[in-house]
Amino acid sequence: MSELVRLDNVSKVYQGGITGALNNMSVSVEKGEFTAIMGPSGSGKSTMLNLVAGLDRPSSGTVAVGGTNLGNLGESALARFRRDHIGFVFQFFYLLPNLTALENVLIPAQLKGNDANVRGRELMEQLGIPDVADRYPARLSGGQQQRVALARALINNPTLLLADEPTGALDTKTGDQVMELLGQLHRDGQTILLVTHDAKLATRHAARVISVMDGKIVDDARLESPERAPSEVIRVRGEEASR
Amino acid sequence: MSLKYGVLGLLKGEPLHGYEVKNRFEAMLGGTWEVNIGQIYTTLQRLERDGLVRPVGRRGDRGKQSYELSPEGHKALDQWLAEADSGPQQLHEDIYVKLLLATRIANGGLQQMLARQKRAYLQRLRDLNRLEERARRDGRIDLARLVRGALLHTEADLKWMDELSSERFGAEGGAAE
Repeated sequence: MSELVRLDNVSKVYQGGITGALNNMSVSVEKGEFTAIMGPSGSGKSTMLNLVAGLDRPSSGTVAVGGTNLGNLGESALARFRRDHIGFVFQFFYLLPNLTALENVLIPAQLKGNDANVRGRELMEQLGIPDVADRYPARLSGGQQQRVALARALINNPTLLLADEPTGALDTKTGDQVMELLGQLHRDGQTILLVTHDAKLATRHAARVISVMDGKIVDDARLESPERAPSEVIRVRGEEASR
Repeated sequence: MSLKYGVLGLLKGEPLHGYEVKNRFEAMLGGTWEVNIGQIYTTLQRLERDGLVRPVGRRGDRGKQSYELSPEGHKALDQWLAEADSGPQQLHEDIYVKLLLATRIANGGLQQMLARQKRAYLQRLRDLNRLEERARRDGRIDLARLVRGALLHTEADLKWMDELSSERFGAEGGAAE
């Protein structure tokens, strides 16, 4: 495996408050990893994701993705970097309401000058929403909207998929399905950074869980995945057969 | 939890002999509660003594005796099922006492203890998730449901760790009385 993301001594200071600030954070992520970032609101986990995506710039320190130091890129180069290398899904989907589902999916490809109609339809098929291509977002369920957003994030074959609370606006069952899709993408080799509150979901798919608090990494757990017998995982306690 | 009512519940469907009871009990609980055949026989004997089950048919091969629920057994089972579990909350694990002690003992290393425990719970969640996945894949729905309960329980424990961690009461003192 090789390193894909690297943060070196990254701080981010926001004027007028410390919410979401980062404090001298260093971490690296390998290609092919599925990493979950957990922490309370305002701990800085979304800020981490935004810096890695090149949506925001650090106050100090360096952020590198695929060996490119994002600090060396001007605004238009940074926009190209985002378009070509980063897929991003958010809690609230952010689909454009006056475009159909398929047109939404194709936006990043069009920005690149590519006709990705076929790939767009394939992706929608793969994500289980082949029949909503011509519908407008307002006529889609939350789960369908998030799948459309996921197809849009994947259309340019991003090096890195970032997901910020992608199940936060979905019911449990739909959220599980979206997470299952992320798990499948990871098994197919996609590198994923996931921000979530939900430790159950995080540990189901991510073998690495980074805990963030007050802008610092307080734990970086690499979890094991052995096949354990049920009795090694759960023990139901019974009364002795007395009485 | 009681083996007695587990056995009554399994006999509600059809008469079973000791080994069948043991196998079905373990299948239902997916190996998370291992009982030995001796415990099953002792339980069946006590249930018979108390009039809640009765032998049915003759002893078969190797002296196997099947049992069925008596009317009293049906009643006792229905009553138990209808009763809410309302006793005190059971906290079995050492961590509860460990954490309280860590807050009292100067230099108790509370934050490190919380961090270690949190990591152990994350690993447990991972193991539970994988077990649930396997149980569902194998169609073992009882086990999958049980694992789901354990997952949610561990999630709550993890949230408690986070609360304690942000309280930082170990550092602020006021813990020792």
